[in-house]
Amino acid sequence: MSTTDLAPTPRARFEIAPQLGLAIIVGLLVVVFAWKQPGFVSSFNLFGMGRSLAVDVTVGFSQMAVLATGGMNLAVGSIGVCSVMFAGYLMQDLGLPVPLAFLLAVMLGGLLGWLNGFTIVRSGVNAFIVTLASANLYSGAMLILTKAQPINVLPPIVSSIGSYEILGYASPALVVALVIGLALYVFYRYSVPGKETLMAGANARAASMSGIAVSRSIILAHVLSGVLAGVAGLMVVARVGAAMPAVGGEDWLLPSFLAPVLGGTALAGGFVSVVGTFLGAMLVTVIRSGLLFVNISNFWLQLFLGLFLLAAVLAQRYRGLFRMRLT
Amino acid sequence: MRLSIVNVSKTFPSVKALDDVSMEFAPGEVHALMGENGAGKSTLLKIVTGLYRPDAGLLKLDGELVEFFSPRDALAAGIGAVHQERNLVPRFSVGENILLEHPPGRRGFIDYGAIYDRARVLLELLDPGIDVRAEVATLSVAQMQIVEIAKALSLNARVLLLDEPTASITDHEAEALFKVIARLKAEGVAIVFVSHKLDEVLTISDRVTVLRDGRVMASGEAIAEMSRRRLVSLMIGREERIADVAGGAKQGKVALELREIATSYGHSGINLRLHEAEILGLYGLVGAGRSELARSIIGDGRITGGAICVGDRPARIRNPNEALRRHRIGYVSEDRKGEGLVLSHSIVSNIAVTIWRRIATRLWLIPPVVERNAVTPQVQRLAIKSFSLDQTVDTLSGGNQQKVSLAKWLAAKTDILLIDEPTVGIDIKTKVELHELIAQIARDGAAVLLISSDMAEMITLADRILVMHNFAVVGEFVNDRIYENGSEAIMSAIHAAEKDRKHLHDRAAIA
Amino acid sequence: MIGFRKFASQEWAGLAAIFVLGSALAAFLSPSFLTEYNIYVMLRSASVELLVAFSQMIVLAIGQMNLAVGALGGLVAVLFGAMLQLLGLPLPLAILIALLIGIVGGFINGLLTTRTGINGFIITLATGSAFTGINLGLTESRPFHGIPVEFVALGDSRWSFVPALLWPPLIVAPLLAIFLYRTKSGRKLLAVGGNMRAAELSGISANAMIIVAHAISGGLAGLAAVLAVSQLGAAQPEIGSTWLLISFAGPIIGGTALAGGYVSILGAMLAVLVIALIENMLVLMKVDPYWVRFALGGLVLVTVGVNRWRAHQMGRN
Repeated sequence: MSTTDLAPTPRARFEIAPQLGLAIIVGLLVVVFAWKQPGFVSSFNLFGMGRSLAVDVTVGFSQMAVLATGGMNLAVGSIGVCSVMFAGYLMQDLGLPVPLAFLLAVMLGGLLGWLNGFTIVRSGVNAFIVTLASANLYSGAMLILTKAQPINVLPPIVSSIGSYEILGYASPALVVALVIGLALYVFYRYSVPGKETLMAGANARAASMSGIAVSRSIILAHVLSGVLAGVAGLMVVARVGAAMPAVGGEDWLLPSFLAPVLGGTALAGGFVSVVGTFLGAMLVTVIRSGLLFVNISNFWLQLFLGLFLLAAVLAQRYRGLFRMRLT
Repeated sequence: MRLSIVNVSKTFPSVKALDDVSMEFAPGEVHALMGENGAGKSTLLKIVTGLYRPDAGLLKLDGELVEFFSPRDALAAGIGAVHQERNLVPRFSVGENILLEHPPGRRGFIDYGAIYDRARVLLELLDPGIDVRAEVATLSVAQMQIVEIAKALSLNARVLLLDEPTASITDHEAEALFKVIARLKAEGVAIVFVSHKLDEVLTISDRVTVLRDGRVMASGEAIAEMSRRRLVSLMIGREERIADVAGGAKQGKVALELREIATSYGHSGINLRLHEAEILGLYGLVGAGRSELARSIIGDGRITGGAICVGDRPARIRNPNEALRRHRIGYVSEDRKGEGLVLSHSIVSNIAVTIWRRIATRLWLIPPVVERNAVTPQVQRLAIKSFSLDQTVDTLSGGNQQKVSLAKWLAAKTDILLIDEPTVGIDIKTKVELHELIAQIARDGAAVLLISSDMAEMITLADRILVMHNFAVVGEFVNDRIYENGSEAIMSAIHAAEKDRKHLHDRAAIA
Repeated sequence: MIGFRKFASQEWAGLAAIFVLGSALAAFLSPSFLTEYNIYVMLRSASVELLVAFSQMIVLAIGQMNLAVGALGGLVAVLFGAMLQLLGLPLPLAILIALLIGIVGGFINGLLTTRTGINGFIITLATGSAFTGINLGLTESRPFHGIPVEFVALGDSRWSFVPALLWPPLIVAPLLAIFLYRTKSGRKLLAVGGNMRAAELSGISANAMIIVAHAISGGLAGLAAVLAVSQLGAAQPEIGSTWLLISFAGPIIGGTALAGGYVSILGAMLAVLVIALIENMLVLMKVDPYWVRFALGGLVLVTVGVNRWRAHQMGRN
């Protein structure tokens, strides 16, 4: 029982490494794009990037919340679009004030997430199948109710929120995303339910034997995921000034996994990186915007994103091996 | 085929699992391998089946040196094993499972007729009642074991290892299995039989080897010359007393009482009283139902009858969460890595998990300083060795891990603590530390229920000892901390229970 | 044994009963249901979906998932179109190469999964994105219309109510059945899905079987794409974009185990037919087509729930 028993690998080093690497990659890409095309760092483009970054980040957080428990949520996009159309309905058809409509729409997101979590916990069926099915239930219901018609006549304040520029180049949505990021950081690091969720995700059995109500943690994670999906949807509403039924859906599937997985969040559960998810989303946004500037058609975007995701999981994998060899 | 194990040793980072072990399994004999938890049986089985490689020593088959680099090598050499986890493909037929390695057929196609014919021949010897076309998933556990034996035979196994084959089958099924074993023995197969059930071992084996703490206590002794009593004492042993713990402080009020408890695990009529500031030992051989009782108390198993009182109030505990928060009961699991700890999380989190809710501010936030301050005294008290409290638990040694899994309940300051096998696989020095700690916990006023298979530990620590056997309490006495008296009392309780049981069994057989 | 047979037959017998009853109901509700043409339309839409379901099923057999089925299908479809329109390759050669591309795509999935040991879900999510990226990058979302007329005509041709496009899945199904139930390789593949440890102890290479399963899945996705091109009359880049749900719904409703080791080919076929029937009914009754998605999601949830419940009941007994 001497100190030689201890493996010389304080884990913290490896938790920082992927985020640092990611930050460097993002930084390099920004420099390259700015050098090729100065317009890339114009306040106009920064504003646009910030606005879409906000959505990517929030969508990534939404997935991250469920990845924390070792599950996954394929319904992020569907919940998002449900919130979008619900907000549109509340504002246009019922004439509710904007803040109230937004609040109710976000609550709907939470409710749909709760349904997912409840079904998973109660039925014991894995999260993949439940959320794949519920994604189609939710989108189907939304399309039936809205007949796939966009809701265009929203109070003008909505689109003015979307185009409002803080200090010339920051979008309010980005501020919201940053606040959410900060809140999640505090949640997972310092709050009882957040810490309990991570523990339940890392080893449900041990967590339960230590007195954590694991089912409650899983349901809470899905509620959180639903709320965040709803917020992301509303960011899009503000950006386009209308509630479009084509928002979210399967288009959010890849980005939702990209940001957390690129950022080092473990698929197996038990560990999240809020900063990493933010950086992961930044990478996605920078690539998307940068490709346009260097005259590569946006059609290639998905290829790059796929390759980046692959590279990220490979890197994670080999880091894992490296760590195992040391211990 | 004769399998000889010659001077084999195997060391793991924190413990010597096998220490210069030798034994020999002869053809046409049933050889029982016995020992309590942590005695080294499973390590030995893993070495023989090619899963581990020994650090020192060798294996011989019929006098020829053999080396196994993988389980496949052991199989190819004719060593078959029926493990506790099933090695069958559930949705395949019995026949196909038996011949999975070399299914008969031509040009890449399977000939099911030939499979069933051949499998039937193999099963004929063992249990003709099993339909070779039946899907394995539809069989009983006992039948699956027979199928695995047939599978091993199809690979010409001449040495057959059976790892606790009767652990989860009925007595009736066990009888059938013993007939199979007798037939295999007649065919000249060397059978190694791992079991915790004395009855079985005494009836069906020819020889017995007993392991304790990684050493051979009796090597291949003829069962005819072995008494039940001697077997138990070999397994339990009489080590030097390892810690000098004074008798408990004054005992207080009743903290936990079980009245005529029955559980879904099969306990019945369990009565137990645990006082404040007392260490109540729950002794029994492996499989006696001790851990299962502890789990049922904290709501991890179902109570089907009787009543539990915590303090003087009746309690219904539905899950460990309620046990901790409403009734202030903690359970230190024997399965450290599976349920005691979250290995990928930090020391702080693993210890503070039980008190997060208590130390949180009104906004449900936990200031790191508060968390650290709550954890540090426990870390110091247990002398947990680490670089930093943020270190993940998987980087700690076994002994330190066990300390962490205990520390979280110390931090929680529960009134009642159920401690299950606290020192299995742990080095002597840490063991002594843990013993002193457990005694201290009781002196501080907590009620401790200690489950252990280590008799020396039990006699050192317990104020009173309950003896459990076959999911029932069969004896109770006040422990005077004199080894001879304690071991005598325990053994006669187990012995009497075995005799009763055998008596009942015989009577049932006659009827 | 008899008990099991009964059980196994019930697994798909239930679906068959639903199909028959559903058809009766449809015939009752709409006189145009039992027309030759309507049945042809229904079966034609089922043709591609059957292959998509098989493509997912073979990966489920080894206990993994393939999220790239649709993306690979889309890529094969546009490359197939490009071979015909831009390179002017003869049709049989183009079909052959298209299938090969599918197999290679699946092979890459299998290789990456086994080499890295990373969960097939995330690997196929990534490769799926890459396949879609290549698809969109090459075509810029524009379809290839230069498909030989006779191939498009084939997609529309029928014999009574049986569409020509139904033949490929009808040929593939027994081949798959023979492979999985009768050949040594097929049994090894299922053994790996059923109990990887036991399979490896019996000398089966799990990695080889995982790669084989992904390669077959890719080939079937490719075949589905070729059929889709014939059906649509153009190599649309969007082919495959809606396959995700149906690829899982078919096998899972049909009784294939998510955990691996067991597939029901007949079950998957009946499940796809039931889905096609529901779609058809909704169209005939002039209900919003969006109900299809809703119904499909609900159907998957209910089936999995019922299976779970049944397993629970069986566990109790």
